[in-house]
Amino acid sequence: MQGGSSGIVYGGLKYQASKQQQQRLLEPSRTTCLNLFLLSLLLQARCIADVRADAGSTTFLAGTLSLKEENEVHLIRLSPAESELVCDGLFYHPNEIWDLKSCPFDHRVFSTVYTSGEGYGASVWKIPEVNGQSNSPQLEQLFELSGHTGKTRRVVWWPLGKHDKLISIDDRNIFLWNIDTSNKSAKVISQGSADMLPNLRGGAWDPHNHNSIAAISDSSLQLWDLRSMEKSTAIEHAHIRDVDYNPKKQNIIATAEDEFGIRLWDLRMLKHPLKDLPGHSHWTWAVRHNPEYDELLLSAGTDSTVNLWLAKVSSDDSESDSPSGSPNRQEEPLLNSYTDYEDSIYDCLGISQALLAEKMNLARLSILNRCCIFEKCSGKGLELYDEVELD
Amino acid sequence: MATAGGAAPPAMDEKARRTRDLLASFYNTDPSAAAGAAAPASLARPSPTAAPASPLDSINSASFDPDIYMNVLVEQSNLEGLLQRHVKMAAEIKNLDTDLQMLVYENYNKFISATDTIKRMKTNIVGMEANMDQLLAKITSVQSKSDTVNTSLFDKRENIEKLHRTRNLLRKVQFIYDLPTRLNKCIKTEAYADAVRFFTGAKPIFEAYGDTSFQDCKKASEEAMDLVIQHLQAKLYSDSEPIEARAEAVVLLKQLNFPVDNLKSNLLEKLEDCLLNFQNEPTQASIGDISKTFRAYLIIFPDSERRLIELAQALFSNRYETVRENLKKRIPSTDLLAMLRSLWEDATAIDEVIPEAALPAFSLETTRDIIRQHIATAFLHLQSEISEALVRTHSTSNEELEESQLQTAMEASKIKVSQGCIDLLQEFHHLIDGNIELLVKLRDLIIDWVQEGFQDFFQKLDGHFHVLSGKSKKKSQESTMDSLQIDKVPTVLVLMLAQLCVYIEQTTVPKVTEELASSFFGGGARSYEYGPPFVPGEICRLYRSSGEKFLHHYINMKTQKISKLLNKRFTTPVWIKHKEPREVNMFVDLLLLEINGVVSEVKQILPGIVRRHRHSDSTGSTTSSRSNPMREDMLNRPNTHRARSQFLENHLAKLFEQKMEIFTKVEYTQESVISTVLKLCLKSLQEFVRLQTFNRSGFQQIQLDMEFLKTSLKEFVDDEAAISFLLKEVNNAAHERCLDPIPLEPPILDKLINAKLAKIKEENPNMR
Repeated sequence: MQGGSSGIVYGGLKYQASKQQQQRLLEPSRTTCLNLFLLSLLLQARCIADVRADAGSTTFLAGTLSLKEENEVHLIRLSPAESELVCDGLFYHPNEIWDLKSCPFDHRVFSTVYTSGEGYGASVWKIPEVNGQSNSPQLEQLFELSGHTGKTRRVVWWPLGKHDKLISIDDRNIFLWNIDTSNKSAKVISQGSADMLPNLRGGAWDPHNHNSIAAISDSSLQLWDLRSMEKSTAIEHAHIRDVDYNPKKQNIIATAEDEFGIRLWDLRMLKHPLKDLPGHSHWTWAVRHNPEYDELLLSAGTDSTVNLWLAKVSSDDSESDSPSGSPNRQEEPLLNSYTDYEDSIYDCLGISQALLAEKMNLARLSILNRCCIFEKCSGKGLELYDEVELD
Repeated sequence: MATAGGAAPPAMDEKARRTRDLLASFYNTDPSAAAGAAAPASLARPSPTAAPASPLDSINSASFDPDIYMNVLVEQSNLEGLLQRHVKMAAEIKNLDTDLQMLVYENYNKFISATDTIKRMKTNIVGMEANMDQLLAKITSVQSKSDTVNTSLFDKRENIEKLHRTRNLLRKVQFIYDLPTRLNKCIKTEAYADAVRFFTGAKPIFEAYGDTSFQDCKKASEEAMDLVIQHLQAKLYSDSEPIEARAEAVVLLKQLNFPVDNLKSNLLEKLEDCLLNFQNEPTQASIGDISKTFRAYLIIFPDSERRLIELAQALFSNRYETVRENLKKRIPSTDLLAMLRSLWEDATAIDEVIPEAALPAFSLETTRDIIRQHIATAFLHLQSEISEALVRTHSTSNEELEESQLQTAMEASKIKVSQGCIDLLQEFHHLIDGNIELLVKLRDLIIDWVQEGFQDFFQKLDGHFHVLSGKSKKKSQESTMDSLQIDKVPTVLVLMLAQLCVYIEQTTVPKVTEELASSFFGGGARSYEYGPPFVPGEICRLYRSSGEKFLHHYINMKTQKISKLLNKRFTTPVWIKHKEPREVNMFVDLLLLEINGVVSEVKQILPGIVRRHRHSDSTGSTTSSRSNPMREDMLNRPNTHRARSQFLENHLAKLFEQKMEIFTKVEYTQESVISTVLKLCLKSLQEFVRLQTFNRSGFQQIQLDMEFLKTSLKEFVDDEAAISFLLKEVNNAAHERCLDPIPLEPPILDKLINAKLAKIKEENPNMR
């Protein structure tokens, strides 16, 4: 089952891990795409998750979205030695997956949000021990996050490690669960209901604060305090599709909006955004910070492009910075735009692993300033980019 | 010596120098200093071999050692050299001899003449002594005689002096007794000056002896003097008197210790009133009169200059203030110019009288300020007029969009911008043409201001546009009230702004630049570190980017609206339990209504393209037509095949098909904007479909709606290929998300669509 280099077909799914070396170092542009891994699925996928708990290697989980086919969860590994994508595991999932999140402290645990017919559900799963013989082992369902009345939208883990809480969001409620993966049990601790048809669609958990979560609805971004389960503040009149906390800096948040593209906010001053980025030609569906280099933002849009942005946010000393930089110095925030996709792109993530980066860079013998690798999940495939920025 | 010949000078110089040197060495008390240059050299190198180059130099020094010299010479030179040196030295010795002789001779001559002179002086002095003795004797006799005369005449002289004093006293007393009558006489003849002189002469006596026998006399003369004072005052106050007379009266009054200051302040107050009158009703008095008055006062009260200067300055600053007041409401340049001109003339007139008031400098400065302000207000007015024109259109035509009303509004605002700029230029032209001395001085400055003004104006206008469009953050930061207003920014306005930006960039700015270049050349009175004040390139860039921003904003707003509509449509029903399609859904009507709105707005405001045949706008037109049959085929295929094969085929078809460029660059044309809006809407539609799960009827409903849209949208766009591609995409998305994708039979589809069309016709019989 482990990675062939090209064209291995498993049950109608085709992985194509092709390696195209595009050494265009002489290109004048600042960013040069050095390496491109292409992994195309023949099924639609809407979500991809970075397995952060797995420190040794770079792995991802991707869930497919197919109404008529059997749905799968793919465990994909980027093997550092061969620099290619390898499918480490393929697990059948009973329903089509709308959201998938990996547990940040146990690399074999993940959560999905799915639909089955009319119903919505959310579960936490465990990947069974892989013993080479079994072709498609069954996922072990640890527990189901039942109790939602509306359409379940999103399951959110505390992003930075061990935390025994979990949040699930349906279109009008936020549930805080106490989970115990070893006992396979989950209990609702508290529940918060939004008033007046908010139609929640997702959220993000503040990595700097256990008690704060940003939930997005049709017309606003709401910050909830998990202790009181009440809304504290909100950005009103914004049609937000995605939200992501800055992993390094406190109080900085990025939103993807229909109207204004990508905006960066300081949660202490919600009246006006810190920064505006133009976003995409159509909807900006997802926005993610690079976990290592928080100035790099990755956004995916329904105009079939993935954009890489450089957005420097200095929360306090922005005044002292701006005069020194003359207008000419002001850099174009859009570093690169990846356009050769056929369909809308619904998810993307930036990853960065020092070890991996080092290895690749040594191999390329290039002077490196920053390195980011991102992966995106489009309607019809997964692609992994090694984005190397040359000084 | 200079006549000695052409070849002589160098020789003479040589000789002279040598003589001088010799003399110097002769008279010099410190010969080592003269030879200092040579001596250290030979001392520093005592070895004879080491100093072979300096024997000749050291011959003149004090430390000259003939033995060493000889030794060096003998050692270093050959026989011939020695001989030569011998000859040379002999010649030198001879020369020195003759020089010495000449010197001795000259000095001897001088000595002889000096002794002669002394001898002559001695002989001249001998005869003088006898004469001097004689003179002394004569002078002593004269002195004694004069002493005797003096003593004999002394008594008589004292007598005479006493008599004389008495007579004077009597005359004075007589004068004082005569004084009243004399004064009266003077008053009669109006010789006030004499009267005052008499009175002041008698005054000390009156003061000393006024209480005694002079009492009556004093009273009478004082009465007379009161009369004099009254007369003098009257004279002073009367304007008809000649200035000199009035000035004299003041002087006299001052001599009489009359409090003149009161008079002065009274008079000046009067002048002030007069000036105030002049200010209010300039017709009553001419500036000539005023300047005359100033002159008179200056002569009458020489010490009142300060006050007068103050008055004059106050007058002019007040008048300029009124001009400034006028500026607040917009006045044409010619009027302003007339005002300034008259003021300038007045100022120069007054300046002739009191140059110390520095009125021309003051008025120059003030005029500069005023003109600057004038230019600024002119620009400000233009800006507000433009924005008014823009805002008025949308406020009046907010609901019922009458045909061509927008168009006229658009034209009106265009003209407003263009004509406004040209008018301004013409007005400013007056400012430059007016050949008043004042303005000539300011010409360069004015040109700079105008250019600067235009630069500033265009930038401000751009900012204002942004505020109007509600995209400016600055404005929304100011208050929360504005953010509410921003929500209500009419989309039409944004589109108009976009078009206006293009117009300004392409028409107005070049026009203005041309105009500026032709009539406002020069300038640069101030040094500009940042280049010329008006940079059309920068403005053009600014407007181009703003225009694009507005256009995108417009499209964004429109698609937002439609997106909301679609959102409602797709999230409310339960698609999985959808009933069989009976008719085309309501939302299609709403969608078409919105699009109609966009089309009518866009058609009125943006320029259209005449070439309707240009259908190859999109790159996908051929490819999609090629892929059409395949897809059609696929959709209409009976459901015998397994879904997987359909899916694969679908995918394959997509692979072979050229990528459809949906998101092309937006241009300032009706077609481009409309098709962009449509494309974005359809793309949104597709994404909404992808989020749902459909049953068969739901899928069929979508199919029906799309089919209807296809026929209805045709009339809007020339980029049919892209639209039909996107509609297909929606269909495909629904197909993918459908549990049981069986399409409607074509006849049923046709029937339903025709029913809908018929219904539309029925509702709006007069539509098309």
